[in-house]
Amino acid sequence: MSRSHHRPPRRRSVPHLASRLLTGSVLAAFLAFFVLPVLWLALAATKTDHQLVHDNPLSFGSWHALKANWDALTAFQDNAIMQWLGNSALYAVISLAITLAVAIPAGYALAMTEFRGRHTLLIATLVVMLMPNATLVVPLFLEINAVHLIGTMWSIILPYSFYPFGVYLTYIYFTTAVPKDLLAVARMDGCSEFRVFWHIALPLATPVIALVGFFSFVANWTNYFLPYVMLPESSQMPIQVGVGTLLSNVPSFNPAVGTLAIERPQLALATLVAITPVLIVFLFAQRFLVSGMLAGATKE
Amino acid sequence: MTLTPSSPGSAARRPRGAVRQSRAGTAFVAAYVVLLVAFGVLPTAYAVYFAFTDAGGKVTGFANFTATAHDFRFMDAVSHVAVYLAFWLLSLVVFVVALALLLHRLASGSASKALRFLYYIPGALAGAASVLVWLFMLDPTVSPVSSLLGMSGFHTFGEVIAPGNLPLLFTVIAFWTGAGGWIVVMYGALNNIPTDVMEAARIDGAGAWQTAWHVQIPMLRKWIVYMVILAFAGGAQLFVEPQLLSLASVGVAGRDYSLNQLTFDFAFQMNNINGAAAVSVELLVVSVSAAALFVARSGFFDAD
Amino acid sequence: MTVNKPSSGRERVFSKRRAALLAGCAATAALTLTACGGGATGTTTKDGFAQAPQKDGALTVWVDATRVEAAKLYQQQHPDVKLDIVTYDGDANGSNYLQTKVQLFNRTREGWPDVVFSAQNNEATWAVDAGFAAPLNKGLIPSASLGKFASGANDVCTVGGTVYCLRNDLSQAVLWYNAPLLKKFGYSVPTTWEEYQQLGEKVAKEHPGYLVGDAGDSYTPEIYLWASKCGANHITGPKSVSVNTTSEACTKMARLVDVLIKNKSMSISGVFSTDFGKNQADKVLLMPGPAWYGGAVFKGTFKTPAKQIAAAPIPQWKGDTSPSTGNVGGGTWLLSQHSTHIKAATDFLKWVTTDNAYQGEKAPGFPAYAPAAENWLKGQDASGYFASDLSALKAASSQVWPDWGSGQFSQEAIWAATVKPGMTQGKSIVSLLPAWQDSIVKYAKSNGYKVSQ
Repeated sequence: MSRSHHRPPRRRSVPHLASRLLTGSVLAAFLAFFVLPVLWLALAATKTDHQLVHDNPLSFGSWHALKANWDALTAFQDNAIMQWLGNSALYAVISLAITLAVAIPAGYALAMTEFRGRHTLLIATLVVMLMPNATLVVPLFLEINAVHLIGTMWSIILPYSFYPFGVYLTYIYFTTAVPKDLLAVARMDGCSEFRVFWHIALPLATPVIALVGFFSFVANWTNYFLPYVMLPESSQMPIQVGVGTLLSNVPSFNPAVGTLAIERPQLALATLVAITPVLIVFLFAQRFLVSGMLAGATKE
Repeated sequence: MTLTPSSPGSAARRPRGAVRQSRAGTAFVAAYVVLLVAFGVLPTAYAVYFAFTDAGGKVTGFANFTATAHDFRFMDAVSHVAVYLAFWLLSLVVFVVALALLLHRLASGSASKALRFLYYIPGALAGAASVLVWLFMLDPTVSPVSSLLGMSGFHTFGEVIAPGNLPLLFTVIAFWTGAGGWIVVMYGALNNIPTDVMEAARIDGAGAWQTAWHVQIPMLRKWIVYMVILAFAGGAQLFVEPQLLSLASVGVAGRDYSLNQLTFDFAFQMNNINGAAAVSVELLVVSVSAAALFVARSGFFDAD
Repeated sequence: MTVNKPSSGRERVFSKRRAALLAGCAATAALTLTACGGGATGTTTKDGFAQAPQKDGALTVWVDATRVEAAKLYQQQHPDVKLDIVTYDGDANGSNYLQTKVQLFNRTREGWPDVVFSAQNNEATWAVDAGFAAPLNKGLIPSASLGKFASGANDVCTVGGTVYCLRNDLSQAVLWYNAPLLKKFGYSVPTTWEEYQQLGEKVAKEHPGYLVGDAGDSYTPEIYLWASKCGANHITGPKSVSVNTTSEACTKMARLVDVLIKNKSMSISGVFSTDFGKNQADKVLLMPGPAWYGGAVFKGTFKTPAKQIAAAPIPQWKGDTSPSTGNVGGGTWLLSQHSTHIKAATDFLKWVTTDNAYQGEKAPGFPAYAPAAENWLKGQDASGYFASDLSALKAASSQVWPDWGSGQFSQEAIWAATVKPGMTQGKSIVSLLPAWQDSIVKYAKSNGYKVSQ
């Protein structure tokens, strides 16, 4: 601490300022890249279709147009969008609960314990994670059919619950961030393996639980193809498939749609509605992502 | 808490602890193994079986592989994907690590937090939801960045989506949706680097560059390897971005662009699930080989 | 703790592994069983196909968002019928949803819908082979009804003389025009392609910026080249096609379009593009296009005021003896062979394709069933939007040139991917015709078609 005080301030502050400027401008440039399209989307929902094309892309339309778009959107198939949101929430939350209950212990065990088949499991997980999913749909459908779950929500929830990505996140987290010695001490103190996991490992794992939970939620929420193929009733469809349906009713994307079309600002609004839950969950999870617990765990 | 220094793996060497651990480890993974077999191993095995048989279930050896490789779109798709992969991997690794480091250095915690959120937002816009966004971003007549497009010499949507620009466009789209999540992961990993290690680096007089290069990046090694493995597989299986652009351009650009699009075409347009499985298996082999290379080089599977 | 503990542990692991193996085997066996078993038990051959034992229960109908109205209206008029209305994307943009699901249902031997609407008109190319579409002219639909569809309307549904689907709407191309504007400029509606070209050249000189057409959409070949009798897509059998894009019929139309694109009286943006909507929508003088342009493009998208848009027959080449036009899409209805409610399904199918209550009054597109089309046209006249009657549509409905078929591969997608990028670069369509042919041939072959050129 005291060392820096001895240095002449000027020699340090000039490059310091330059590097801060550089940092700031890089971060700002990427901020524009990530946010500008989203900002456009948000503004698009406040316009009429005419304004969307003719007005300044980054201008605000009107509250009136936003209201009109909302009314048109909710009128589509008798407020189908609320049903889609409800379905998505149901599928995503139940799968999330199962994923956390299954993936966190598994990732922990892979990282912190030695058992037969550990290597095989790591490799098998990685391999199935890398498999392109187009051809998995047919076997999955047959499997779900063999256990008579076609048409139920479990045909979506169970495949969602299998979340190898989360297992690996947990595995890497424990191998890189939690020292094994810590657990060894607890074991020597006579803790059972379960107690070690529950009382030592789990509290340390808050950031990764938040991370896995969040990514699992997003993966479930944004999954399109599985429910699209698996579910037989339109009343069971989640929001992503719903947005796809809306999209196929926009004349620019499907010219032959006819006169009962969805306009582009309504699609923009539907998109915003579809992503809002993800963003809320992100903000909630972010509180746990950066817990400083581990950084100090090995400090004397 | 005081720790008695112990050599790595000392717990595992004691037979009693080993048995206990082995049993506990098995119990902890049991539920996961059930899901893995049901929704991972079994479907994958079934797909591999498809790849080596015909529609009637007769074993055909490599017939599906040669037949699909002779499809007129196959070689084009291979070269498209190879070019895209180069763009994608490079941009992802460089920018994600750099941005995570910059955000981590940011003095203001709340600014860093807000930026991570804002960078992440596009991650929620998966698939169909972002078709509209990209149609309007890339169309100079209505784009908020039309002056930027104009400066690059593009004045119509058709010019923007010319075949030569596609690898770059797909990289931009994929990075836009995918980078934010990885930045969060990397940032979290940076946070887990013990403060005493960072402190030591600081006391040694290491500047930001040296700290990043010699301390932080080596400690992120496993996370970076994991990202590269998945990014490689994801890039080789390029699907969403060309599909999205194809929808936005009503089929002018992005149709039949990648290998994974071909698998969908084989499976669901031509009713040739066996051919689709063959291409999928090829993609799997490539991704697994790349993963094996990275895993072997990085000690990724070591428990310590 | 004893010495034999590890060994017993190993044993347990082993037996566990065996159990897992067995479970895997059982599951695989179950998969194979369901994949092959079931099916043709207790079927009766009637109406030209093996019918499953008939049962009571809800009739499952798949429709796109636009056709939900039809299903709901049917339900309203037939309250005693149990109807399960499922909406899907209608296979729009070649999503292949129906085909994908039927493939899966064929493996599990259950789950098929009874009646399906598809926005595509090429479903018969796979639905017959897949054993899904039921033959309709072997007893289910009386030939008197089939005979009242517009001539050639059900060609896309016919495989080897058997009709496997019913056409919902026609999309015959006509010449749309802005009547007051045309009058103001002092022009008259062209009746030949030669006159059309001259008019385009005149417009380019006298009123630059105004348009006599658009060639930027993926269905451009269907509007212009089909009407010109270009043999790019002659489906000669269930799996054979004849492709020739460089005949005089093709090149003379391509040359005409090239001239008009060059003098900018024809746009290459595509009528649904943002560019067209922003800069050209109010500059439309003439616009060759399908029947649904009237509602979807002018009234819906461009919001052109009433009493401006009128329809005339599509121009002919000078000296042509018979009029001919093209067609852009048009949906179809299919009935499942596996239906266990064939009577109810047939009743629904008949109603939805022919009854005036829907087709004659509510349908957004030009009905394929001629008596309903009459009624539909009256409704359009009564609505007072158009500046002329739409009799040109009626005439065109039976003038669609029959030698342009509907194969499993998408002509629109091929044009969009092959010709459109070249047009954007400023290449002429004439110069792109060979590449177009090459691409059609490749796609056709890769879809298992025998190609003659």
